Amino acid sequence: MLNFETTVQDSKSYGDLTLSEVEPILKINLRSNKREFSTKIGKLLSIIPPIEANTSSSNEDYSILWLSPDEWLIYSNNKISYEQQNLLEENLFKNISNMNQGSVTNVTDHWVMINLKGFKIYDLLSKSSPYDFKNFKMKKGSVAQTLLNHTDVILHNIDDNNLNLFVRRSFSEDLWLWINDSARFL
Amino acid sequence: MFIINCPYCGERDQTEFSSGGEAHIVRPKQPTELSDDEWAEFLFMRKNIKGIQFERWNHSHGCRKWFNVVRDTSNDKIHAVYKMGEKPPANK
Amino acid sequence: MSQELRINNNKFIDQTTRLSFKFNGEKLYGYKGDTLASALLANNIHLVGRSFKYHRPRGIMTCGSEEPNAIVQIGNDPSLTDPNVRATEIELYEGLEAFSQNCWPNVKFDIGGINNFLSPLLPAGFYYKTFMWPASFWEKYEFFIRHSAGLGKSPSKPDPDIYDHKYYHCDVLVVGGGISGIMAAKLSAENNNETLLLDDKNTLGGATIYQNNDCFQIDGTHTNYWLEKEINKIKNIKNLTIKTRTSLAAYHGYNYLLAKENLTDHLSPDERKGKIRQRLWKIRAKKVIIATGSIERPLIFNNNDRPGIMLSSAIKKFIDFYGVKAGKEISLFTNNDSAYETAISLKKSGVNIVSIIDIRDKSSSKIVKEVEKHNIKIYWKHTIVNTEGYRKISFIEIMKLSDDGSGVIGKKIKLKTDCLGISGGWTPMVHLFTQSGGKLKFRSDDNVFLPDKNKTPSDQISIGSCNGDFDIKDIILNSNKDVKTFLGIENSSFDNLKVESSKEEMKRNIWLLPSDKPIGKTKPFLDFQNDSTAKDVKLALREGFKSIEHVKRYTTTGMGTDQGKLSNMHALGIIAETTGTNMGELGTTTFRPPYTPLTFGAIVGRNVGEFFDHTRKTAMHNWHVQNKAKFENVGQWKRAWYYPKNGETMFEAVQRESKAARESVGILDASTLGKIDIQGTDASEFLNRVYTNAWSKLAIGKCRYGLMLNEDGMVYDDGVTTRLGEKHYIMTTTTGGAANVLTKLEDYLQTEWPELDVYLTTVTDHFSTISICGPNSKKILSKVIPNLDLSDEKFPHMSFKNSIIDGIKCRVMRISFTGEHSYEINIQSNFAKHVWELCMDAGKNYNITPYGTETMHLLRAEKGFIITGQDTDGTMTPSDLQMDWIIGKKKFDFIGKRSLYRSDTIRDDRKQLVGLLTDNPKEILEEGAQIVEKLNQKPVEMLGHVTSSYFSPNLNKSIALAVMKSGKKLKGKKFFVPMENKNINVTVTDTVFFDKENKRLNA
Repeated sequence: MLNFETTVQDSKSYGDLTLSEVEPILKINLRSNKREFSTKIGKLLSIIPPIEANTSSSNEDYSILWLSPDEWLIYSNNKISYEQQNLLEENLFKNISNMNQGSVTNVTDHWVMINLKGFKIYDLLSKSSPYDFKNFKMKKGSVAQTLLNHTDVILHNIDDNNLNLFVRRSFSEDLWLWINDSARFL
Repeated sequence: MFIINCPYCGERDQTEFSSGGEAHIVRPKQPTELSDDEWAEFLFMRKNIKGIQFERWNHSHGCRKWFNVVRDTSNDKIHAVYKMGEKPPANK
Repeated sequence: MSQELRINNNKFIDQTTRLSFKFNGEKLYGYKGDTLASALLANNIHLVGRSFKYHRPRGIMTCGSEEPNAIVQIGNDPSLTDPNVRATEIELYEGLEAFSQNCWPNVKFDIGGINNFLSPLLPAGFYYKTFMWPASFWEKYEFFIRHSAGLGKSPSKPDPDIYDHKYYHCDVLVVGGGISGIMAAKLSAENNNETLLLDDKNTLGGATIYQNNDCFQIDGTHTNYWLEKEINKIKNIKNLTIKTRTSLAAYHGYNYLLAKENLTDHLSPDERKGKIRQRLWKIRAKKVIIATGSIERPLIFNNNDRPGIMLSSAIKKFIDFYGVKAGKEISLFTNNDSAYETAISLKKSGVNIVSIIDIRDKSSSKIVKEVEKHNIKIYWKHTIVNTEGYRKISFIEIMKLSDDGSGVIGKKIKLKTDCLGISGGWTPMVHLFTQSGGKLKFRSDDNVFLPDKNKTPSDQISIGSCNGDFDIKDIILNSNKDVKTFLGIENSSFDNLKVESSKEEMKRNIWLLPSDKPIGKTKPFLDFQNDSTAKDVKLALREGFKSIEHVKRYTTTGMGTDQGKLSNMHALGIIAETTGTNMGELGTTTFRPPYTPLTFGAIVGRNVGEFFDHTRKTAMHNWHVQNKAKFENVGQWKRAWYYPKNGETMFEAVQRESKAARESVGILDASTLGKIDIQGTDASEFLNRVYTNAWSKLAIGKCRYGLMLNEDGMVYDDGVTTRLGEKHYIMTTTTGGAANVLTKLEDYLQTEWPELDVYLTTVTDHFSTISICGPNSKKILSKVIPNLDLSDEKFPHMSFKNSIIDGIKCRVMRISFTGEHSYEINIQSNFAKHVWELCMDAGKNYNITPYGTETMHLLRAEKGFIITGQDTDGTMTPSDLQMDWIIGKKKFDFIGKRSLYRSDTIRDDRKQLVGLLTDNPKEILEEGAQIVEKLNQKPVEMLGHVTSSYFSPNLNKSIALAVMKSGKKLKGKKFFVPMENKNINVTVTDTVFFDKENKRLNA
């Protein structure tokens, strides 16, 4: 199989704060404004796409993040094989896109996922994000799409002081540099 | 910097949004039947009011949805936000 | 130097920590807790600078940000030196070095001082009037004026310090940590509000924290002790964050405020290392409480600017807070009661008070009676008519005021004094309030502009002396009441305080105090920093300036780094008096942010150097770096520009790359192109509407080039779209246009065509694109993907195949931007570098040549393919580009269709795309060069300009694309491209220079 090469390939600690790129896991973008879409996804993945804004739903295998009233991001919580990824994508495509229930797009390499952990992560983010994290940080599963150092990011609260950050691959090295630079001065 | 209450995501900083100019200018259904002047009216003519103005905004760094805003351009106060396709609130 | 001016037992100054510093090269000492100003005064140094225009000696006048005179240059390191620093605000640290500004050769002997004697020749507007003619001389004048005027030197080298930004969200922001701010912060935080309290000083408590006076008591203790206890209490409230050394710079709408925190400016250079110097806080507060206090006004009288003349409140702070006597024989000059507080403080510390000169008839308030007990001579209804002393005040001359205050009467009395405290009442600091959009009202009792409660933006209040309460009793009562109402609090610990104060009963104000000399012979300074006098304001009025904003600019009153904090009110007062206008109607000048100067460092924060702009990188970036590519910025992308070998120039490298791509095979990283995945039952209809050509009949597996217009009919973007399935397309956009195209398409889907069942998802970063082009491209691809049938029948030009490389799925398109037989491999980005390397390996025997954007541009120009944004500029229709073939005339509608036959877009003489050949084939045109027909015409008519120009190695001649008026009709005609030293002869040609029959696509 071909070698894969991600952008950051690193993990750093600054005191209690740790930053690390999470090995590429499956990410699929879903769009739909169809009524049956939700139940279809429920059947396929045993998980219902959230309707409430800025939230997510998760089971053991997958998380689905709300991105907009007709858009969601699925990611696998664990690394799965390339073949499994393909199977899942094809299955979704067959049942959703082909059945006129919406769109299914593989975005695994579109996004780089960085995990931020530690009680100062919100101090770090506040250095360049205008987002008010007050509610976000209190509620596990919260999702926020906002700006960090003028770059689009998706943030997913997975636990207390523990979140996954999604940034577009082409911006990821740049943002990683900024995050590390800022982490020095917390 | 305003705070804009995105009808989908809630209150966010203005930096997450981009402005799309005057709202409720409907693209003609049959442009080919219009005279030059009528087409120019749609294409170029905008109000630019001092006072209450109906505007289009896009939550470009969030949910990417377009929506409408009622803003007083003299003091930037936002009186209402509403989704595309919804009727504008009655002028206060 | 001894510190005989220093008093002992002062809790704000740590007299056990002695700090050495230098002022104008002289080594001096101060203590931890001092400001530069207090340390200088303790060393008996008043003279710190020269005034801006007349170069008059000037001394420390205040103890805060309103300081007009004591502005100094800190340090002389060319990268760290800091100009225009107020000596009253900079905290002393070990090794501080400060220099006077605006004086040469030194502050004690300044050659510019001659301007003082020439001052009758230098009235307001002197520079405007004198240096107007001849206009061409301005540059010469400017050099000398700037040279003699300069306020400090800016650093000449890059700033090595680190600055930072931080967003902060809170329920309540309290600006100012004086007594009312402390009360507000406590009430707010105790009642469940996340509260942020800011103060620009290093110590909370404002002026009350050192107000140790029997006349002012709260619950039986002196106000300072009471406040100290309150401050200790609030330090433990969980909801409250306190930031000192943090000054509010700007107050914008929606309670968005900027504040600058000084983190290291008070530390010695050694202690600063590796730390952030300043942080700009970007604060969003649900509610804002402004408690910024007030500053004392000076009095305007003849020669009121000598060193040693200070605000009475500053003298009080220097003695009570810093433990420094501003003089040994001090006089006070006042129109209100507050100077009497200073008198008591001085008396307590054993300073001799020569006299108090009060313009009022009498005052019988408690504090005045207290002073009278000390047998201090008070001259009621007197004014100062003159002062003496060059480098420092030595004498004052006083006379009795006439009843109406317009003149003086009686005998002149001369008093020896080495320091004069002046007090002209108080000005509320309403800057932030007005910045936020609040409107002021005028209170004529004491001539102050106050926040108008009815014209206050919602979610904010002003409390304390910035709201016009100057009596401690009113401050406490009203602050408590207003904060409770504002925050909806029922009971407060401040409800039943017993407050004692001295009520001021008698007021008198004279904006310009009379002298025994005619006004023309006096120097009553208004704006100390800009050297404008009351005379100048009167002159401006005589010359017809009426608006306060005009008078300000003409006289420069209020235009210094202090922004007229001391001078504006008097300027207004004098204008109102002279013109017989009501001050309230006159209004104020606009208060613009920042309130105090901000460093550029704080404004930009970390967005400098490598963080100045984003850099986007492709998956093959590191390969390009390893192979010595030069990079070009395209939008935020770093794109490989060309790959110089063995010291090649750019020209040589591009010639080699261009030849190789046509003769054998070239490889290009095309990953930066925007890619949009389109799904939905109406996908074809959607494409019909957004592109000019027809899409419904495009077969699955086929690709098509599309041109996208704006509604005005102008070309907006272009690219190839591939039909992946019945309801599934992938669109490519230009690199720079990717984000805008997606936004535009979403806009149409969401607002104009919500009925269409179409979903867009960007996959620009998911897929990387490797473009292989040239006659040997097929051989390379067959090695990389052996199973794929590459025959023209199975895989013709403008088609696509799904395939697999070493177990990984990919999409291969046979499309061409160079006119050569070529393929584009799209593969998930994390595998792309490996595929690129496989291609390089496969091409070893074919001299596979990586090429960059420059070669790509050259190759497409040989074919006459446009680049949107280079050959178009938002004013070109498809017809202007000679691309009428791409317009689906039969289509009912598409974006921009109607505009294509507006009267303006069908004009014959629009600029149209043409090819240009130079008569001398070796001569290369410059992009942007103008094209003319007649050389001797004046003014010469510009017929168009060159948009793309290259030397084609494949044609062995120079080629260019240009846009020209009526270009379509000009084929074969000759024109000139005039350059600086020569005129280049050119001939208009077809836009396609190479392989006009497109034979090479299937070669």
